[in-house]
Amino acid sequence: MKKLISSILVIVMVMVGCSNKESSSSFDPEEIELNIMMSFPQYMDQWETYIDQFEKKMLDEENLNVKVNLEMPSSDQYESVLQARLSGNDAPDLFTLHSNNISTYNKAGHLTDLTNEPFTEKLFENVKKTITHDGKIFVVPIESQAWGVLYNKKIFNELNLTAPETLNELEKITETLKENGYTPFLLAYQEQWVPQLMTALTLGGKVSGEVPDWVERMYAGEGSYEEMRDIFGPIDLIMKNGTDRAMELGSELGAADFANGKAAMFVQGTWASGTIMQTNPDMELGVFPLPINNNKANTLVNLSTSTTLAVHPDSKVKDVALKFANYVLDDKDSSTLFESTRFNPIAAIHDYETDPWVTDAYQYVEEGRSYQDLVLPQAVTEEQGKLLQEYYIGSITKDEFIKRMDEVFAESVK
Amino acid sequence: MFSKQKENRILLVYVLPALIVYLLFKLYPAILGFYYSLTDWNGIDQSYEMIGWANFKEIFEDVYFWESIQFTFKYVVVILVVSNVLALLLAVLIESRLKARGLFRTLFYMPNMISMIIGGYMWVFIFTRVIYYLADNWGLAFLDQSWIGDPRYSFVAIIIVSSWGTVGYLMLIYMAALQGVPLQLKEAAVLDGANSWNVFRNVTFPMIQHAFTICIFWSLSSAFQVFDVIYALTGGGPGRATQSVALNIYEEAFKGNIRYGYATAKSTILFVIVFLLTLAQLKMMKRKEQEL
Repeated sequence: MKKLISSILVIVMVMVGCSNKESSSSFDPEEIELNIMMSFPQYMDQWETYIDQFEKKMLDEENLNVKVNLEMPSSDQYESVLQARLSGNDAPDLFTLHSNNISTYNKAGHLTDLTNEPFTEKLFENVKKTITHDGKIFVVPIESQAWGVLYNKKIFNELNLTAPETLNELEKITETLKENGYTPFLLAYQEQWVPQLMTALTLGGKVSGEVPDWVERMYAGEGSYEEMRDIFGPIDLIMKNGTDRAMELGSELGAADFANGKAAMFVQGTWASGTIMQTNPDMELGVFPLPINNNKANTLVNLSTSTTLAVHPDSKVKDVALKFANYVLDDKDSSTLFESTRFNPIAAIHDYETDPWVTDAYQYVEEGRSYQDLVLPQAVTEEQGKLLQEYYIGSITKDEFIKRMDEVFAESVK
Repeated sequence: MFSKQKENRILLVYVLPALIVYLLFKLYPAILGFYYSLTDWNGIDQSYEMIGWANFKEIFEDVYFWESIQFTFKYVVVILVVSNVLALLLAVLIESRLKARGLFRTLFYMPNMISMIIGGYMWVFIFTRVIYYLADNWGLAFLDQSWIGDPRYSFVAIIIVSSWGTVGYLMLIYMAALQGVPLQLKEAAVLDGANSWNVFRNVTFPMIQHAFTICIFWSLSSAFQVFDVIYALTGGGPGRATQSVALNIYEEAFKGNIRYGYATAKSTILFVIVFLLTLAQLKMMKRKEQEL
């Protein structure tokens, strides 16, 4: 027993000795560690390159020896990893979050006010609007999309079809496609967020076009999904005229099927373009806004910012963190980054040529036919996806959908 | 030899690391979890309030939670029977009849070597692509179902994949037990005129009773916490048709309205259910073993 204790003591002493030696013998200029956590591992290479550039810039221009630790958990796990870190007082200096969650994270005290940072001057006005909360800016936008329904331009051109403006026109297009042996819509509903895109588009269009105070009233407990019953117009049309086995198709495989011409239209955002163009580089991809009913004022594209970057207020190296936040919109370097990740331009300094489908979508934005993505409670968004799955397989009715959504909304704003 | 006291001390040294790990990483978080179940903590806020039993009261009205409990019970019963019967059957077959027993043992055990998440994704591919190919090209029309998209079949799909993943492990335990049955006993029974079913029923079966205790305990407690297979295969869908309790808790904690306090209250309930059931099962089966 004595031997055991003494050997443990020896080990402990050796370890203590080692660590002491390490810290006292470092004569190099002090290294500043910057921890960044991001949610999209698919852009690992692009961001690593960008971070290398940042480190070099800091060393050259500010004589700072910055060492960036970049973590990229899988998108699935990202939220839980981040939450664990935040609650464990181990927050990364910078982290990404979805723009819809800004107010939650802000309330919990995890966001730094960036309103007066230089980068905010560079943002496009409409992008700036999507991330402004109570007149303040807490995040750097990274990904921004204008999106609606993706369609196969080759098929549309062949049949002399043009993008629809009303639900009637969409119905006619659907008929024409069927008469010519094409499946009108690609359905990939295995992951609940994909069918959920239909509610994002229909609610967004209807609310922005006809009932602008609906979201506000829902938060106040005075609205109902009953007012939004119209959304089932396009939803029913899509579900009835789509590819089969929708519940078994994930978004990636769905995008591949769409690229291979299995259907002419696909309710998906422009973020699916990567997979689509990879599967079929000759694809002529177009985007049009989803009509809700026959009121043209509702036919709008969704303009939203999804991923944003925040600086944690408790960061020990906050000034360097802020430097990085600003560097994301660097005048010289950021164009290359945004182009290489195929992100849409979000600031005037971005001067690369955009993909044709992006140009398509931004045409609507320029015409003023866009709306800002509705900010609904996260639980409401998830529930919509789940209920649409159930609606698709026929286990719930429209009325049940409406009743259940009203309940969930009321519960989440309680 | 060592004195009793010294022996105890040596034992303590051996047990100590495991005990520390257990206290630190199992018991402490469990107690902490129970503590949080009495709060309204959302998981990211710095502050939270003690709200007593309010979470537990709310759970009683949470329809989806009770639906997930119901689903989990159904799953537990079916998987318990299917995987144990299959495992025992395979163990007996491989042990008695087959020459290439090493090969088969490896084959059936193989699924245990990969994570069930990966296994699950493999099966998604099988269910969504391979099976349709077979149905279309080999004329096996009965296979032409929406295996993971239709709530009627997705339960079957989950059972298939789960038992695929667990049977090998249980089979090994049964095989080990079978090998422990003395040959003389069986021979004696045969000499007394027993056929092979009778030998199995009256000699082998009672002798491997302890393996049942272990296997059923293990499959009971793990089946209640089923998560990975369902997560990979159906994500709890379509809608919520295949949502297990663990999945329900996960969604409560990490998706939608992030509510840690409420989610830990749910896991406390799950813990109590599993604890009571396994305790009852162990007591019951241990008594049976002793009767021998």
